[in-house]
Parts: sequence; C-alpha cells; structure tokens
Amino acid sequence: MAAGTQCKQYPPTLLSFFIYNPKFGPKEGEEEKKILFYYPNEQEKNEKIRNVGLCEAIVQFTRTFCPTKPAKSLHTQKNRQFFHEPEENFWMVMVVRNPMIEKQSKDGKPVAEYQEDEILDTVYNAVLQQCYSMYKLFNGTFLKAIEMGGAEILKQRLEKFFFRYLQTLHLQHCDLLDVFGGISFFPLDKMTYLKIQSFINQMEESLGLVKYTAFLYNDQLIWSGLEQEDMRTLYKYLTTSLFPRHSESELSGRDPPVRMPISGSLQHYGRFLTGPLNPHDPEAKCRFPKIFVNTNNAYEELNLIVYKAMTAVVCFMTDASIELTKEFCCELDRLVGPQLTMLASDICEQYNISRRIAGPEKEPQFKFIYFNHMNLAEKSTIHMRKTPSLSLTSIAPDLLKILGDINSDFARVDDDEEIIVKAMSDFWVVGKKSDQRELYVILNQKNANLIEVNDEVKKLCATQFSNIFFLD
Amino acid sequence: MEAGSSLSHKSEETEAQGDTVCTEVKEHDAEATNPEDGIREAVTEEAQNDECEGSVCSTEEEVVPDEEKDASSDKELSDSASTDNTLEDSSEFSGRPLVVCEKKELCSPFGADLVSSHREEDVTAESWRMHRKHVFVLSEAGKPIYSRYGNEEALSSTMGVMMALVSFVQSGNNIIHSIYSDDHKVVFLQRGPLVLVSVSRTLQSEIQLHSELLYVYYQIISMLTQASVARIFERKKNYDLRRLLTGSEKILDNLLNLIDSDPSFLLGAVQCLPLSSSLRESLSQILQKATTSNLVFSILIAKNQLVTIVQERTVIDDTRLDPVDLHLLLNLIRASSAFQAGEVWTPICLPRFNPNGYFYAYISYLDPDCTVCLLLLSTDREAFYSISDCKKKIEESMATHNSIQAISSALQSQSYSISLLGVPDLRHFMYKPLDIPENHKQLTQLTSPEVEAPYCSEEEKVRLFDLYRYLHSRIHSTTRPLRLIYHVAEKETLLAWVTRKFELYTCFSPLVTKASAINAITKLLRWIKKEEDRLFIRNPPKYTTASNTSRGSRSSRGGSDSIDNGFLTLL
Repeated sequence: MAAGTQCKQYPPTLLSFFIYNPKFGPKEGEEEKKILFYYPNEQEKNEKIRNVGLCEAIVQFTRTFCPTKPAKSLHTQKNRQFFHEPEENFWMVMVVRNPMIEKQSKDGKPVAEYQEDEILDTVYNAVLQQCYSMYKLFNGTFLKAIEMGGAEILKQRLEKFFFRYLQTLHLQHCDLLDVFGGISFFPLDKMTYLKIQSFINQMEESLGLVKYTAFLYNDQLIWSGLEQEDMRTLYKYLTTSLFPRHSESELSGRDPPVRMPISGSLQHYGRFLTGPLNPHDPEAKCRFPKIFVNTNNAYEELNLIVYKAMTAVVCFMTDASIELTKEFCCELDRLVGPQLTMLASDICEQYNISRRIAGPEKEPQFKFIYFNHMNLAEKSTIHMRKTPSLSLTSIAPDLLKILGDINSDFARVDDDEEIIVKAMSDFWVVGKKSDQRELYVILNQKNANLIEVNDEVKKLCATQFSNIFFLD
Repeated sequence: MEAGSSLSHKSEETEAQGDTVCTEVKEHDAEATNPEDGIREAVTEEAQNDECEGSVCSTEEEVVPDEEKDASSDKELSDSASTDNTLEDSSEFSGRPLVVCEKKELCSPFGADLVSSHREEDVTAESWRMHRKHVFVLSEAGKPIYSRYGNEEALSSTMGVMMALVSFVQSGNNIIHSIYSDDHKVVFLQRGPLVLVSVSRTLQSEIQLHSELLYVYYQIISMLTQASVARIFERKKNYDLRRLLTGSEKILDNLLNLIDSDPSFLLGAVQCLPLSSSLRESLSQILQKATTSNLVFSILIAKNQLVTIVQERTVIDDTRLDPVDLHLLLNLIRASSAFQAGEVWTPICLPRFNPNGYFYAYISYLDPDCTVCLLLLSTDREAFYSISDCKKKIEESMATHNSIQAISSALQSQSYSISLLGVPDLRHFMYKPLDIPENHKQLTQLTSPEVEAPYCSEEEKVRLFDLYRYLHSRIHSTTRPLRLIYHVAEKETLLAWVTRKFELYTCFSPLVTKASAINAITKLLRWIKKEEDRLFIRNPPKYTTASNTSRGSRSSRGGSDSIDNGFLTLL
C-alpha cells in the first residue's frame, strides 16, 4: 500500500468451510475421523480438529438452553461462523471474515478495523443452506453416500463438489435475494402458455423416457413439473451457473450458435447445453449430469438434459438407471430443435406486443423487490443483472441491508405488517407483508413526507400488483 | 464506551491511595433493641482495624512506592479472607442485613423469599430454561460470581463452558461477541477480570443486551471499584468474588428486573416525578441551603422517582452525573430494605464518574412510610456527623414548608395518564428531549405516561416494552441508523422518530391512519412543550460548599482499594 493512501476496504470473504459428523470419531485421539470435508485443505490437522471442536462446544452449549434449537451463528470480532445441520449429526460450518477497513496507524503499521455489524445472518444462513441443497441436487444425501460406500465415498464426493462450488460463492454480493431464493417467472399470455404446455406434452409423449420437464425463457421460468424445492435449486443452478457459462462461450465465439442443417433435418437453432455438443458427431459422448430429486421420499436419480434454442430452454429429466443413447439424443434434437425454435420466436413476438401495449417505460421514482412464499415468485427492479460473479444493483448497499432488516422483522410474526422507515440518507424504504407475499419499495424522494410516500406506494401497488391486497 | 474514559487520567491518583472504608449504621432510636448487637460490635472492630490500616496508608505520600502498595494490598487480601471466614462461620450473619427493619411489612418488595426461590431453582428443569433472560457473571478462572436464576454452584460447569468459549476464541487473537440460535441470543462481555454473559429469548438486539451487561458490571464496580476488582484477581486468579458480594445478589436481581421494565435504562435517561415547578424549586432550595464541606450531590427521591437533584458547583463545571450512575444509586436504594431502618453511611463508587474512587453516601428516609428518601453524597469518609446535621436541617425546613405532604399528594399516581393529553388513538409514548439548555451539562431525562389499557396484564406490558426495544434497536442501529420508523402491525401501530431536538416513541391503536397519527404527534409535542416545567427538571440548581474548591470530587480521596467496603456488613 502506498504511503499516501489512508485506508483500504476488504469485503467479507470465505475463511473456511467444513463438514463434520461428531459421531464418526467419538474417542479421544480419533477426532480427525469426524471431519468429512475441510477447506482450506492445507490447514494444519490440529487446527482443523480445534476448529471443529469449537463448533461442537458451541452447539452443545446452546443446547443447555434449548435442546431442540442449537446455535446457528457465532459472532466474533474478526469473523462470523454459520452452523447448519442439514441431516442428523451432519454439520456444515461456514466461516466468513467480517468486512474490514485497513487503516494506517501513525507508526505506519496497518490497523484492521472490523465492521462486525455489516453482514446479515439471514443472508449467510441462506447461503449455507443453498450449499447443501446444491450438493444434494447433484450428489444425493450424505446418508445415502455413507450407506453406499462409507465415509470414504462421502468424502470423495464432498471434495469433488465443494472444491469447485466454493469458488463460486462470491460472498460480498449476497443479499436479500439469497434469503428468498426465489424464481423469476416469465409473464405470458394464455395462448402462448397453452402452446408451451402442448409442446411439453407432445415431447414427453414422443420421447417416452422423460419423467419431468421444465421450460424457461430468457432465464425466467414458465413451466416446471418438478417439486418446488427441487425446482428452486435447479433454477438457481441453471441461471447462475450453466446459462452464464454458455452465454460466455457464445460471446467468445467458441461454438457457433447456429448449426448447419444436417441432411434430412429442418434448420433450427437447437443445441444441447448438457450432454453432447453435436449428437450427430460419431465421436459424441451422450453423458448427462445426474441429479437427485424428491430425496425425502421417492429418492429419484435423474439424467438432466438441458436443450436450448435462442432464449428458450427446455429441461428434460429421465430416469438415470436407463442409459441415454446417441440415437435418443439425435431423436431429441430432431424433434425438439425445430419446434423449440418456433416457440422461442412466438414467445418473443408475444412479449414485444404486450410491451408495446403497456407503453414506453418511464424511469420510475422507485425500485422494488417482490417475493411470494407460496410459489417462490420473485421480482426485482433493484438487481439489473445477477450472475454468480457479479451482482449489479442500482442502489446503495446500506439500503439493501435495511431491506434485509425489515425482512427479519417480518419473519418474527405471521401477521400482516407494514414498515416504513426513513434512512439517514433520506431515502424512504417501505416494506409490506400480506399473507405470504412481501414487497419492498425504495423511494428516492427525499423531501416527501410519510403521507406522500404512502400515496406513492399505493399507486405502485395499483399498477404492478393490482390483484394483491396489501395492508393499508 | 470505555468506562469513565474521560476521567481515566484521574484514576491513577486515587488508586494510589490505600484508603479503606467502613460502613457505619447509626441507630438513633435508642429503644430499638438490636438482636445482632454482638455481631455488630465484632464488625465494628473489624472496621476499626481497617480504619487503622487505612489511616496508615493515607498518611503516606501521594504516590505510594510500588512495593509498598503491593504489600498493603497483599495485606488487604489476606485480611479480607479472614473476615470472610469469620463471617461464614457465623451462620446468623450470612447474607443478612445488619440493620433489621422493624416494620417488616415495609421491606423491599423484592423479598428474600422470592430471591431465595430463584436461587434454589433446579437448573436442569424446563422452567429454568424457559426464563426470558439469564444473566451470568464469572471470573476469568471460570469461577461463578452471579447467576440471575439458579444456584451459582450448580451452574459452575455451565459457566466453565462459557469461560472456555471465551478463552478459546481469545487464543486465536479474536474476541467472542455472541451466539445466535433460532430463539436465543447469547451475548458475552468481558471487562477486566470479569466475564458477563446474557442468554436471552427476548427480541432485543445484541447492543441492547450488551449495554445491560455493562449495567450489571457497573453495579458490581459501584460496590467494589474497578481497581480493587482488578487487584484481587491479579493476586489470586481463582478468588471467589462472591465472598465480597454476599447479600448483593438482591441488588443485581433488582437491577435486572428494573432493566426489563423501566424505559429509563433503555433510553439512558432519568424520569423524574412530575411536580409543579414551584414545589420542585422550593425543595431544591431546601437542599441548597443545607450544605457542608465536601458535600457534592444532594438528591431527593420519592417512591424510586427523582424529585430533585442539587450539585456542587465545581463538580459540574466539567462533568455531570451520568444517568447510569444515578440509576445504580436508585437501584441500590430500591433494592435494600435495610436502608429503611435509620441513617446509613456507606461508600459507593459511581463507575461512570470515576470507576476507581469512592463517594460516601448518606441515605435516610424522611417519612415514617419510607416514601421520601434523601441521598447525600460526600467525598469525605469522616463526614457522617456533619452530613447527618444537613439532613436534620433539611428535615426541619421540609417540616415548616409541609413538603412531605406536598410530595405525597404528587405521588398519588406514579406518573400521569395518557387521557390527560386528549389525543385520540394514542395509547402510550416515551419522549426524551435533546434540546434542554446546556443539555450536555445536565441530566438526560425522559417522560412517559403510565401504561394503561390494553396493556394491563403483565404479559401485555412486557410485549409493549419489547416493541419499544425493537424500535429503539432499529432506529439506533450502529451501522444503519434511521430517522423514522412507522410500523403497522396487527395489534398496534408504532411510530419512532429521532430528530436533533428529541427522541420519540409512540404506540397507537392499530386502526390509526397515517394522517391522524401525524396529527396526534403534533398535538403530543405541543402538550409536552406546555408541560415541560412539570415533567422535567429544567435547571438543576447548584451550590458551593466552602472547602470544595477547584479540586472537584474526582480527585477526592476516595478510597480505591478497599475490599471490605461495607457492603459486607450492610446487606
């Protein structure tokens, strides 16, 4: 750091992440056996054991006061630890270093000032739970792995999965949207919706093997046959990992988006995002990622086929015990490709028409986030783009954290509530909870009074959420 | 928020004095036969010994050489240990006040029965777990010092775990702050050799729980001083501090009960008894006229509410009595029924003023019903008789002015009813002015009406107070403070508003509209403006005592290191 600069800001970062089961090494001297995964792996063995020991002690200690609801987080000056027990006795721990400002003291030594209250528990607890859901989607439960091949298999799977996954966490960009973990739905007229449904029925019929289907347009969900929880995780994977990866390679021009028509098939824009790049290539391998759904009851293992044409994406899920052949992939490409291309342009056309009817959009005086707990529907005009590496928000981080505070206040009671606050920056923030729905509005009208703010939000509700009753 | 940081430079001065303190309880009623006369004599002997030692020390140079200081504190430790032993041996004495209150029915509402039942609770029972807020105090060696519920002995392993967590995190060059679970918050506070832990099921913020623990710490310090606590544990890591706090559990219990119901702790302000300004003025004048050298504060209290406070001029030149210190004093008086028996003379440390020095407090009730209490603070240990004379003077002038009766009629109701204001839909409020002239030199105050329907049941009262705590924590958040909160919920509508001139927290009926709430606030502010002379002490009067010159009391000869500070014998 140059002598002239006064301070340097550090965002919250992942310090360590580990998974343990206290039942695996109950004897003294065997503590290492408890540890199933530890990041960073380079950490000295005794240090790992000590850190796991602290977590065990914290959990045990809080059980003194409430046996059924043990600790969820530990706050210290320098970091925050989050605890999650997704399966009995399996503990996941995430340690996040507090954001800090490094200042130069008079003698030139850097002095770290930790900003302990800058990160929200609800957000990072949600991130940790997401880690598990994502692991489970691709690997099944911890217990199943133990049943199959003992702790060794589980360790291998954890290592393989989290080694990559942890790099994609980007903790400094996590916010209220991670708490909701919602799904953005694509608004559609009835006709087009029916067309899509009929397309899905037809494909399921023709392809035979398909157990579940999901349909997305423009990174937004239109139709899903999966259970809501499974779809939530799959949606997160598709929109924050798979799609961005492919659009990046498209932009860099590594694989051409339009394939030349192979003899006999119609020209179309369809292609596989998982599985073979080109099923007609004799060398192509038809291997698809496996996913695990309904792990609480049926425990199904499925092949995940993701197929895209223009901005329309269809996911087909087939029973993993039936190997998918090259012939199946060619058949799928031949059937789905042209139809999906057609559908994509239909949807695009419909969408443009409805936009034109609505009239030109003015830059509104407010930004909002909406979430519906019942169908996980989420809508945000605060986030312009959300990718795993970058979250572009149009408002100050502090305001976004005030939304987080209001959200935690709402979570405490089941009743309908409304909270209006005026921040020190004179922005107004309004939170409304009605039934299972939550709406947060940020108004940039610094000189407005409470009544004017109220009127403004009323107007917003009338235009955007006319069918929802919010407490007045 | 380092304790008394602004004064810390003075502390060394007082620390250097190995003064010891004794408490004297004067029984003017000759007919009162004291069954514990024998013990009192024994204790007086002890006290005299201490006095001798004290006087030896105080004749020494201002700066005591290090070795000597060590030697004297060594002696103190061993002395106190022996005192403890004799006390422990005497079964009659253990934890009971020396002064026996003759009128049992007037004893403190927090009677011994209630306290002991908490102490004997089964710490493995569900009912123990279900307490809304536990508070533990332990030493760095993990030794239990205090537990709000349950016997410390039975909780020693739990407290051991707490200490282990603290030191484990510490070993990584880090500090443990808190643990969150779905319905509990555990907050840790380390101050010197003491570790304080709050385990709460309330919705209070970590900062609020933290400040409550600080209150508990200050209350302990007010009995022992910070320097002496530090010294004790420097000498002997696993010292059992309970020996020195015997009987004071009641004070801490009472403090914690108050914190959970009295908004003055939440707002860091003092609520005074609403009085006509003329009456308050005449009472102030009475206090103002009865002074003696080294008298620094004269405080009149009625039913635990501040009536008036008069300060020595030079003392408040550069400082004021912190609301925290005043709360500790009020709590001490409230929690100790022993004070009702006669005149009490006791050393007391005001931690925010100076955590290392003692004041000497004279406490006496002025009426047979023990509603009006006089508290005089002096810097002179030997001043009991001259201070007692002040009280006589005060008593006499109050008799001629018929003051007791005037105060009693003002005490008809604890506070005032919200219905007085005539503001529809407004159910309750708390108001803390920030624009009092010369505010920085004055006592921070608040006003709040009585809690009335629909908050009649204990449960509902607690719920209302929790709502205020929630508003307070959000509006005063350290990282994201707010100017205004308007919260519409099922059972009420809340509005909190902080400006440069005031802090206001209001509670409305749930159906109030925003427009009518704003109307109500305007009316409320107008009413407070009109009544402010009655609701607040506008200009705390001052007096000048002859011998108190520029020294002020902080450089007073407060005995800093006494271990047997008199609380042993008093409570």
